[in-house]
Order: sequence, then C-alpha cells, then structure tokens
Amino acid sequence: MPPALMNPLMPPPPPPSVSVSAPPELEGSDDVSGRSVTQKRRFGDLRGLQWRVDLGVLPSESSTSIDDLRRVTADCRRRYANLRRRLLVEPHIPKDGSNSPDLTMDNPLSQNPDSTWSRFFRNAELERMVDQDLSRLYPEHGNYFQTPGCQGILRRILLLWCLRHPECGYRQGMHELLAPLLYVLQVDVERLSEVRKLYEDIFTDKFDGLLYQENDLSYSFDFRKSQDLLEDEIGSHGNAKVKSLDELDPALQTIVLLSDAYGAEGELGIVLSEKFMEHDAYCMFDALMSGVRGSVAMADFFSSFPVAGSQTGLPPVIEASTALYHLLCLVDSSLYSHLLDLGVEPQYFSLRWLRVLFGREFSLDNLLIIWDEIFASDNSKVEKSVDDNIDWGLRILHSPRGAFIAAMAVAMLLHLRSSLLATENPTTCLQRLLNFPENINIKKLLEKAKSLQARALSVDISSPSPLIIGYHLQSKSVMTRSQTLPSETVSPKTPVNLLTDSYWEEKWRVAHEAEELKQDGIEQQIPTRKKGWTEKVKHTLRRAGSDPPPSRIKNGKKESKVVRRNILEALHKALGPEEEAEQMDCHEILCKQENISEAAEGVQQNDNSKGDNSYSSDDRCPSGNTGIEESSSVYSDSTSPPNEANYHEITSQGSSVASNLYLDECDETADTSLSDPPLPVSDHPESNIPQMSGCNNNDPGNSATHPKEKKQNKFQWFWKFGRNTVEGISGKVGAASEPTKSTSSCSNQSNSQPPVSSTTSEHFTSVSSKGDSVDQNVMGTLKNIGQSMLDHIQVIESVFQQDRNQGVSVENLSKNILVGKGQVTAMAALKELRKISNILSEM
Amino acid sequence: MVLVLALGDLHIPHRAPDLPAKFKSMLVPGKIQHIICTGNLSIKEVHDYLKTLCPDLHITRGEYDEDTRYPETKTLTIGQFKLGLCHGHQVIPWGDLDSLAMLQRQLDVDILVTGHTHQFTAYKHEGGVVINPGSATGAYSSITYDVNPSFVLMDIDGLRVVVYVYELIDGEVKVDKIDFKKTASIHTAH
Repeated sequence: MPPALMNPLMPPPPPPSVSVSAPPELEGSDDVSGRSVTQKRRFGDLRGLQWRVDLGVLPSESSTSIDDLRRVTADCRRRYANLRRRLLVEPHIPKDGSNSPDLTMDNPLSQNPDSTWSRFFRNAELERMVDQDLSRLYPEHGNYFQTPGCQGILRRILLLWCLRHPECGYRQGMHELLAPLLYVLQVDVERLSEVRKLYEDIFTDKFDGLLYQENDLSYSFDFRKSQDLLEDEIGSHGNAKVKSLDELDPALQTIVLLSDAYGAEGELGIVLSEKFMEHDAYCMFDALMSGVRGSVAMADFFSSFPVAGSQTGLPPVIEASTALYHLLCLVDSSLYSHLLDLGVEPQYFSLRWLRVLFGREFSLDNLLIIWDEIFASDNSKVEKSVDDNIDWGLRILHSPRGAFIAAMAVAMLLHLRSSLLATENPTTCLQRLLNFPENINIKKLLEKAKSLQARALSVDISSPSPLIIGYHLQSKSVMTRSQTLPSETVSPKTPVNLLTDSYWEEKWRVAHEAEELKQDGIEQQIPTRKKGWTEKVKHTLRRAGSDPPPSRIKNGKKESKVVRRNILEALHKALGPEEEAEQMDCHEILCKQENISEAAEGVQQNDNSKGDNSYSSDDRCPSGNTGIEESSSVYSDSTSPPNEANYHEITSQGSSVASNLYLDECDETADTSLSDPPLPVSDHPESNIPQMSGCNNNDPGNSATHPKEKKQNKFQWFWKFGRNTVEGISGKVGAASEPTKSTSSCSNQSNSQPPVSSTTSEHFTSVSSKGDSVDQNVMGTLKNIGQSMLDHIQVIESVFQQDRNQGVSVENLSKNILVGKGQVTAMAALKELRKISNILSEM
Repeated sequence: MVLVLALGDLHIPHRAPDLPAKFKSMLVPGKIQHIICTGNLSIKEVHDYLKTLCPDLHITRGEYDEDTRYPETKTLTIGQFKLGLCHGHQVIPWGDLDSLAMLQRQLDVDILVTGHTHQFTAYKHEGGVVINPGSATGAYSSITYDVNPSFVLMDIDGLRVVVYVYELIDGEVKVDKIDFKKTASIHTAH
C-alpha cells in the first residue's frame, strides 16, 4: 500500500461542483468514438475511470449500472490478486506447506529451469532490469514516481505482466506506458478525497457522532487509513440518507455510489480505491498492451516479429511507421519527398514516438490530454465488407484509435514542417524530429490530428497492401533514387474518381486537398495577404505540376505538358478578369508565368518566406523541365555516371542559362506589371532569395544561386572554350560552382575559385534555411541575408583580384583577354549583388 | 535473503586436480552473495577462481596455504547472524564438538564454520550451529582416504537459516537441507 501522496506537481483538481457538470472541452468534438454524450459526461472529470472504460477494462455501455461496474472492478482485482499470488515466487516459503520432495531439483544452485529457485532468480533478474528503468522514470515528477511505494507498484505490475506474457518479455519503454496510468488513478483518488472533504463539510454535524461511535466500537483496534475510514463514513451515510443523496449533483452521486463500501462486492468493489490502485493499474496496462478486442495492441509495438495474419510481413511497429509515411505522403507530399530524399526512414523516429505513445515528446500533463484522445477513439476494427477484395495492408489504420495515433504522428511532423524542410542532411533532420519542441499548442495539434484521423481512415479503404510493401522495400534504397518514389507510391493509392485517366490531375487534387487542410494555418500567418486565394491556387498548381519531376521523364513529356496546360487553363478561369496582367503572363511560356507569380509573391508576402521557399523549391526545377527541351539533364546530372557528366553538365548549364534568360525577363516583367510602390527595388532580391533556397532544398546539384546565374548568362559564350577543358567535374560540385569553374578552366589560371564559389553557395543555403525557419521576424532575417551576401561578395572579389595578379603569367593572349572580360563582367555582377545586399540591409 | 557459500580443503593441486565438474557447473556467478572458505586452497589460482564466483570472499588460513596473509580466524555478520570462520587444524582434538563449541563461544558467533576433517558435519549446539562443509574436491585427509566431495550453501533470511548440503556420491549430486532458526531469546542474551 503506497503512502497517501500529495504531489505538488499534480494539477490541482478543479472545484468539484464546477467540473463535474462540465466535461473537458477537448472531448466535446469527436464523434469518431462510438460513445454517447451522456456516457462521456458520466466520468468526464475522472480521467482514470474514463480511461478504464475506454480501454475496455470496465463496460462501456451507458446502460451499465453502478453495481455492474463494481462487479467488473472486483473481478479484475481478484484476477490480479490471484496472478500475483501465483507468479511472485518466494522460495523460502514452501508453496503447499510441505517441504519440496525433490531437493535435488529445488535448491538454490539448481540448473532446472522449472524449479522454484531458478524462477526466483529469473524474476530477480527481470526485477533488476525493470528497476534500472524505473529509477530513471520521470525525474521531473520524482516526488511521486520515485517514492518507494510507487516504484514498488510499478515494479510488481511490470514484473507480473512480463511473467504473464513471456513471449513479449520486458522491453524498455513499457514502464513509461504504465506510469501515466497509475498517475491518473492517483489523481482520481485524490480528487475523490477532495470531493469527500467537501461533502463532509456539508453533512459534518450529522455523522460526526456516527463516526466516533463506530470508531469506538469497531475501528479502535484497527485504525486504518483515514481514506478507508471516510469511505465507510460515506457508505454508511449514503445508505442512511438516500434522500439527501438524491438531491446531490448526479455526477457527485455517481462518485459516492462508486465508492460506497457497502455496495455490490463490498470494499473490493469500490471503483476508486487507493488500496486497489495497483490492481486497477495492472488491468489498464494489460488492456492497453493487449488491445482488448481491438487492433491496436501496444505489446505488438515492442515485438520484432510480424503479427500472425499480417499482410506485410513486417514487425508491427515498422508497419505502423510505414502507415505513418503513407499518410504523410497523402497529406503533404513535399515534406514526404523531402524526408525520403534525406533518407530519413519513418522508424528512426516513430519507434520512439509510437512505443511509448508520444510519452517522450510531451510533458506529462500534455500527454494525458493526448492519451485522452487516443483512448477516446474506438479501438475496434472498422467494419468493412470482407468480399470487396481489399487486402488488409496496414493494421494500424484499421481502427479509429490506430488511425488517430498515426494522425497524431503526422500532425507532429507537420508541426515541424518548416524546420524539417530546411534541413540539409539526415542527421539534423533526425535531431529536429527527436527533439520535439516542448512549448506547443497541444490543442491545435490535436485538432490537426483529428482532421487527419478521418482522412487516415478513409485512405485505408483504398490502400492495397502489396504496394506498400513495395514502397517499404524501395525505401530501403531510398538514398539512390528517392525522387521517383512519390509517383510510384501515391498513384495507385489515391482514390479513383472523376478524373480517371490522368495521373497528374489526381496528384494535383491530392495536393490541393492537402493545401486546403493547411489553409487555416497559412491564413493565420498572413492576415494581410492581398490575393490569398489565387496565390494558393497557384501554389497547388505549381506543386501539382512539379512534384515528382523525374517520373515525368518516364511518363513522357507531352502528356504532362498537356495536363499542365489544362490545369493552367483552369486557373485562368478561376482567376477571373481582374488579374489581366498575370493572365497575359500565363499565356506566355509556362516557366515565365511561374516565375512571375514567384516574383509577385516575393513582393507581396515578405512575411511568408517559409511558404515561398518550400514552394519555389518545387517550382524551380520544373520551370526548367517544361519550358526548355533538354532540361531533363538538370536532374540527370546528379545521377548520371561520371564519364557522361561532362556532356550533361554542359547541356544542363546551357539549358539553365536559357532559362535564366527567361528568368531575367520574368523578373523585369514582374517588376513592371505589378506596381508595388513601397519597395520597387527590392522586388529583385526577394524574388531571388526564395529561388535560391528552393534550389538548394530540392537538388544539391542544381544549387546555382541566382546572382551566379546572371553571371552565367554573360559567360554564356565562354562555353566553347570551357567544353574542351572542363573534365572530371563531379556532379557533387554542383551547378553553382560550374560557371566559375569553367571560366577558370578556360582561362587556365585560377585554382582557388571553385571551392570559394561552392562555399559561398553553401553559405547561401544556410542563410536561406535560416530564413526558412524564422517566420515572424523576416525583416531581421533579410537583413542577415544581405549582410552575409555582402560578406561573400567581398570574398569573391578578393579572389578575383588575386586572379588578376596571377593571370599575368598565362601564355595564351587571346584567352587572357577573354578572362579579363569575364572578370569585368563578373565584377559588374558583383557590384549589382552588393547593391542588392545594401538594399536588403537597409530594410 | 542472502546466499552464502561455505567450502574448504580443496588441496589443489596437491591432492586433487580441480573441483568436480558437476560442482563447477552448479557454481555460477550472480547467485551467491558471499563465499566463506575455511582454507587449504592451496594456491592462488583457486583463490582467483572463487573470486570470479563472488567478489565477497572470506578465507582463513589452512596449514597448506601458500598465502600466509590469511587470518587464523575470522568473524563476519550477515543479516542477523554472526558467522565465525576457522580452518580447524588448530582445534584439538580435530573435529571434536566440545572443542569447536569452545571456539564458538570464544568468537561469540551464531554459526561456526570449520574444516580440516574433510567430513561434512553439522551440529545444532547451544542455540548455534557448528558446520563442517567437508572437502569440496574430495581430497584425502590425514585421517581418511574415503572422502566424498561436498560443500554447503546457507540461505540466510531474517532469523532463519537454511543449510543446503551438496555432496557428490557416486557421480551424483545429493542435496540435503537443514533448517535452523535463531530464537529471539538467544539474540537478546548476547
């Protein structure tokens, strides 16, 4: 029996009279769970009791009488007591009273695994393991969880559960699933005593005498805890004064009846009892782990073998992780493909999230709210007709609860979206995933998860499992060709509907829906946005057209172009006449249109740098793809074998140069067509920055920054020379360094340029990623960007000056002249850059 | 609950090559909390082996021990029991209960463990116990050649001690058990 613990960290129980009638507001809106409203209210304020109902320990039907509840409770406790008696071995005490007949078997050194002593030693070993984890359980709530009483309860429960389920055994993390369960029971009990105190105050004069009388007669020899005593008081009182009980709040009445020591099953049936907290916690834990009559069993998440009947043949937790990515892919394909690009497989982080049901990511108070929602979701399998020929792929998505868990994880991913998209390598990405921010709006997250839950459930109907396996196997080789994955995984899964034949239109629809889901957030971020709706359409449009570029090559360019055009035309209709200028651009070359809108966005939404970056990341590449014929090489240069690299690079550079010409034009047109008086000059840099970051995000090989490209424009006629001399350029160096490298190689002098330029591009990336993550303080960020640009320009300049000094010894005169020219133009570009940065820093 | 292994008179390598294989397989680390050894190991390697079973090792000096730093007698307290340890060649006549009882009183212990005779004996005497675990290797003694390998494991729990006797007879390990309860009166008498 643990001592009565008053935990200062515990949230103070709200005054009973208020909270009894008002259920927690979070529970109000979910209609996924099958429980009726009255049922919810029934134990709304007693979380532990509510969980016991939700987990299936207590009957959930609202018609269940109090007596039935008490009977079930008593049965559970009896079962636990029996189990404890049977499994917890005391080798010193002979079990059946007589000495064990075979001492050869039952002695401390016995090697027989069935002997009492070896069982005892096994238990002791298990206990040591459990203790190791328990001693580190919730150090911040140590004054409750680290007390010997609590540790003892936790240890016994875990030990018994593991002994009861030897196939599962003890795994790290189980204790963190159990601890909150015990905690809520403790809170409930404390709340009960709170209510009782209040109740006592009202009726104190009436049964004071009764109390002392009873004390004198029967309790004097056995002065039990005041808790039990009070229970008896109320019990006797409740029986005696039924009339006054009826006058009470019905919820309060329930509490009293639940804790009436003279009700059904007597003291054993007291539903809220500190004495039987251990028993109750075990029953809850068991129900949670084995997933009573449902599909989500936490124990599965700890096993490393596929469950019997699993379609995928994967361990359940991996399967659940796959489901998680599957859902993410549908909701936010750009984040999904970004994670795939980095090679971040879902189990890297979801193992930790799922096994303890997010226990490590949130504080205990928030965790309880999340668990409220998880448990409130029905765990039973969704009824679907068996003969509709659908394989049961992802088990976790079969029940509302599992779907909610997956949706919660996805909501967490979306919460981290911007910072994840800004990551460059898997390590930092995982770092962000595994260090979930602590101060978050839990309510918002849950709302998001709820909306995703419905989606997850609907998705499951149309998800054939073989493809998911295929996805999983492919995701193993994610590092090599991750770009093609989205198209392969998504296309079969998206529900078949109106636009049957065109894959890209489906894709667009999915992205569009995802966008709409996010609308709230976006609009909150940008309240002053001018053309919110059209911008959004454009976002989705661009994403639709651009999401999986490599597969476009596979599917054939023409088709995609046609679809794109269709979508664009749809956009025209949607845009309406008031945006003539932009429509004009739309009729022009496609990439132009995009860049204009890009620039327009850059102007209009200074504060939306996050959105811009992420979208432009998609935007940048397809503009090359669709607008220019050979643009496929932009992508192929990162994957092509080294010996082909030379040719590819040159063609890609050519194409990017061409597209840059367009870009420049676009920028100009954007400047003219969109009159934005406050900051006319700043249009230019701003449209540059998102593009830069976009390039860096999407394709490291294509990380040419815009100013560089400009320079590239002017260097265009150098290629003839460069082609002969550029050799053995690895794709890794990146397009950014290529222009400078080719100039250097054609001039035969500079060795130091390529590294410098590549570092500058890296710097740009870091800067832009910085700009990515900071939303509110965009001005400061821009200032930073300008500052760093200035720095880099100085670096480049100094390099060029060095080159000029070295360039004296070059033998070829004509080339020397060319170099000089190149340097002059480069210097001009740099000057421009500096101007830009000056403007930026002025802002 | 504490498990205490008591053994002695191994006489390795002079009279026996090693512990019997069956004993060796039974004695595994992790179970035993203390080892008390009456002496005559006789070399350091045996001492090291015992250390691997349990780091808490107590040894008194037998007449054949190489290591002369072992004490003649040793007392230690485990739980509620006070244990005395002596090889026993100093107590004459060898293995005589009265002489051993004298030593028990001298050391003021509840359980006296001695060796030297290579014969397992256990007496309840004057509210205490006098135990001789015998020879763990079955080495011959100066008294007899007919020796069965044996050792003793004591399970001390509160006021109760259960003595398990392991004896190797004709290649089979035979286990016996002796219960002993220390009465509270004896405890208060001290």
